[in-house]
Amino acid sequence: MTETNKDVEALEAHFKAARARPLAPPDALLARVLADAEAVQATPAPVRTVPRRGWRPVLRAIGGWPAAAGLLAATLAGVWIGASPPEGISAYLPGADVAYIIDLAPGTGLDLVEGAL
Amino acid sequence: MALDAMSDIPDDALLVLFANGDRAAARALTLRLTPRVLAHAHRLLGDRAEAEEVAQEAMLRLWRVAPEWRQGEAKVTTWLYRVVANLCTDRLRKRRAVGLDAAPVLADQALGPDAAMQGTARAEALHAALARLPARQRQAVVLRHLEDLGNPEIAEIMETSVEAVESLIARGKRALSADLSGRREELGIVDD
Repeated sequence: MTETNKDVEALEAHFKAARARPLAPPDALLARVLADAEAVQATPAPVRTVPRRGWRPVLRAIGGWPAAAGLLAATLAGVWIGASPPEGISAYLPGADVAYIIDLAPGTGLDLVEGAL
Repeated sequence: MALDAMSDIPDDALLVLFANGDRAAARALTLRLTPRVLAHAHRLLGDRAEAEEVAQEAMLRLWRVAPEWRQGEAKVTTWLYRVVANLCTDRLRKRRAVGLDAAPVLADQALGPDAAMQGTARAEALHAALARLPARQRQAVVLRHLEDLGNPEIAEIMETSVEAVESLIARGKRALSADLSGRREELGIVDD
């Protein structure tokens, strides 16, 4: 549909009439709006606080940064030993089906029994 | 501060005064902004009672946001028009959900002989036709031709581009013209 000048003028007559007749606020509405405003003013604004992060209390509980560093080092050492045990320590770790008896001082047992010491 | 002395103070400065507990600022903002908010809500909804509820809610949101308002960043009226539009959209959606959307919400009355009545009838015919437009076209046409805002501000309110606003207004006006063309003679808009 092509818009003609007549269409534009006719529509403008409607707009002009509507602009001249806005819905005026009744006094009761103004009173309610003002009452809301005063109620908000009477309420103290919430104080903005930075939310306390969850790890800070934990850090304080274990004794601060030095304690946390020690704990971390011990944890890492434990993980490292678990993942790649040094050769000497593997004998003390539980095997699947093999048991070892290690005599740390062969020969002394007999002497003890006989009271030769 | 006296109310008269506040007439030259911009909205955002008044809002800062309001946040600082100034009761005269509360009164000045209420009297200055409520009529605009109400008129806009009425033009979008076409229902007086609902428009009053929306106006009160929009103003309440303004009071609550006041302590965080940063002066000079946004126009208070732009923010309010957007809040009103969102509240109206929610209500129009609820109306559709209960099947009330089809009913013209403003009286579409026959014209009397008096010129004032003619003006009222033209306005009412326009409101009835606006109510039949898609919501975005209605909002754009109302902001441009009834609230008298520029397209860049309308784009900001509607959170879209200026080109999209131009298109919405053009389509809305074409639809309004087609809708109202049959009533020109009755409304005293005579074709030459």
